[in-house]
Amino acid sequence: MIRLRPRLSQASNTRREALWAWLFILPVTAGFLLFVLGPMLASLALSFTKWDLLSPAEWAGTTNWHSIFSVSVVHTPQARDEASGELLFQCGRHRNVPASELADWQQRNDERSGEPFDCRPGYPRDREVLPERFGVVSEVTLFGNRWLLGARDHVLWIALFNTVYMLLAVPIGMALALAVAIVLNQQLRGRNLLRAVFYLPNVLPIAATSVIWLWIFNPEFGILNHLLGSMGLPANGRWLSHQGTVKPSLMIMGIWSALGFQMLIYLAALQAVPAQLYEAAVIDGAGLWNRFRFVTWPSLSPTTFFLLVTGMIFGFQSFAQPYIMTRGGPGNASRTVVMEIWKNGFADLEMGYASAQAWLLGVIILLITVANFRLARRWVFYEHEQHV
Amino acid sequence: MSEALRSLAPATQQADARRQAQLLRALSYIGLFTLAFIVLIPFFWMLSTSFKPARGIFVMPPQWIPNPFILDHYVTIWQKTHLARGLVNSTFIALSTTVGEIATSTLAGFAFARMRFPAKGPLFGLLLMTMMIPGIVTLIPTFILFGELDWIDTFNPVILPYLLGTPFALFLSRQFFSGLPRELEDAAKVDGASFFQIYRHVFMPQARPLVATLFVLGYLHRWNDFLAPLIYLRSPEIQTVSVMLARLVDFYVQDWSVLMAGAMIALLPILIIFVVLQRFIIESVAFSGLKG
Repeated sequence: MIRLRPRLSQASNTRREALWAWLFILPVTAGFLLFVLGPMLASLALSFTKWDLLSPAEWAGTTNWHSIFSVSVVHTPQARDEASGELLFQCGRHRNVPASELADWQQRNDERSGEPFDCRPGYPRDREVLPERFGVVSEVTLFGNRWLLGARDHVLWIALFNTVYMLLAVPIGMALALAVAIVLNQQLRGRNLLRAVFYLPNVLPIAATSVIWLWIFNPEFGILNHLLGSMGLPANGRWLSHQGTVKPSLMIMGIWSALGFQMLIYLAALQAVPAQLYEAAVIDGAGLWNRFRFVTWPSLSPTTFFLLVTGMIFGFQSFAQPYIMTRGGPGNASRTVVMEIWKNGFADLEMGYASAQAWLLGVIILLITVANFRLARRWVFYEHEQHV
Repeated sequence: MSEALRSLAPATQQADARRQAQLLRALSYIGLFTLAFIVLIPFFWMLSTSFKPARGIFVMPPQWIPNPFILDHYVTIWQKTHLARGLVNSTFIALSTTVGEIATSTLAGFAFARMRFPAKGPLFGLLLMTMMIPGIVTLIPTFILFGELDWIDTFNPVILPYLLGTPFALFLSRQFFSGLPRELEDAAKVDGASFFQIYRHVFMPQARPLVATLFVLGYLHRWNDFLAPLIYLRSPEIQTVSVMLARLVDFYVQDWSVLMAGAMIALLPILIIFVVLQRFIIESVAFSGLKG
């Protein structure tokens, strides 16, 4: 009898502990169910509906998903005249110039520009070769052949391409950040000040820094073109207002803003690299490069991995910067996937379709993250693994 | 002769090495200070523009020091826009969400680190998974949910989700509490303290560095939030300063002096916090990055 009592109370203690613990994790778990798991599943369900919030939701089956994945590659050879079989060219605005008249045309001046006609192989119009209601995502023209990548929702695929393109800023920025961190990791005077200066752009609100850079990139009166000009470099960049430069421009600002964070994380990791490793390397006669190659780089690989993964997850969800600076333009050249989801969901009230797009992006990010973890086994070096 | 040379060699080698190190150090200074200057140019440019008269900004070559130096644009911002209100709103949202997040996340982090209960491992794994799930996936149903609750254009949608804790704060709390010595709670348990008392009076006083880190990171993060405030906060009276500034870009097209004054006001509070707490913020970021 006496022995039983402590056991009993121990059992009730265990139960009490569990009850308390569940109470403690209740808010966090509720938040998870209400704002993550619930909405996630709801989002998946919504992706099979058509709903504008005003009228009741309608079951749409796989229509949304079908629209998203209506993608096709069309190959078209150079156009030929149906009657004569002659190859056709396009000179300026003039289509269907037969090969026999090409020499003539090249002698003449374009009535628009006043310069000699620029003639190139002609192809059928995009809408003649693409399926109905498809738009062009991208095109490649090689040796008299054209490949068109078309899609029903071509804007979404363009946005996805832009988003992936701009992710290149992550490794570029990381390389720069690593270089700065290595240089900064010496006994230098003013080191803390420098560290703070580099980190500053990262803490400031992205809305404010985007507005500042909007003005920096101004083609006529912005400081960037002026500074380039005063260094004797070409100063006529149109930056955000040109399709070819808008993505690199946003990337420049992105690197400026993320540099300090990446540098800080690298710096902290560098300080954790055991000094004996460097001493051993010096004894072995390793120079600066070899010390970096065989000591610094492997020791930093978990950090590199962390920055790469978080940078990519963050980059895939880029919204504020292009929203404030370009609204996705010019054309669709800087539209990102999240901007597209935002437009479909909150401007056009296509809740079902926007949910499908959001899920697509979510799955892409998840797959890339998983792939990153898989690849990491090959190149990321964790110190504690040696001892296992 | 040859012996004399040989004894000289180490000395010259050492001198060479020293000279090389000095050169490297000089190059480091030049490179770092140049880069720091480049990083700061946007801020000089913003400041300079914000104090120039409207015509002055289209003068080529640009003037770095405004002449005349005027405060009109700050007055315009203050009187004609709600930016001041935006600062109050941003502060309110950032403060309340951060405090709530810390309370709920440390409580759960404590339970996961120091208490035994069934389904602990799987539950924690499930909660951590949320860190991997991109927030964008949940955006639309959450919007619909808040719409059903009639909460659009109120503070609730941008505050409430954070009050229930974030996976990041939970993860960091669990890490921190797991690292504390076991004797801490043993003594308290013998004294018959309840689990909440142990959390509140034994563990939380030890957790100052954790709380400070969570506070700084949460505050900065919330202040910089853009998408959710843009979607939910419609009337100017409740908008955050970031959303208001983005709206100003459409109202003051090409009026760069006013926009730069606006940007300055929007980033000033964070700038002040950063300058004051600089060392601490940097350590927090590095600390959380290493844990993550």
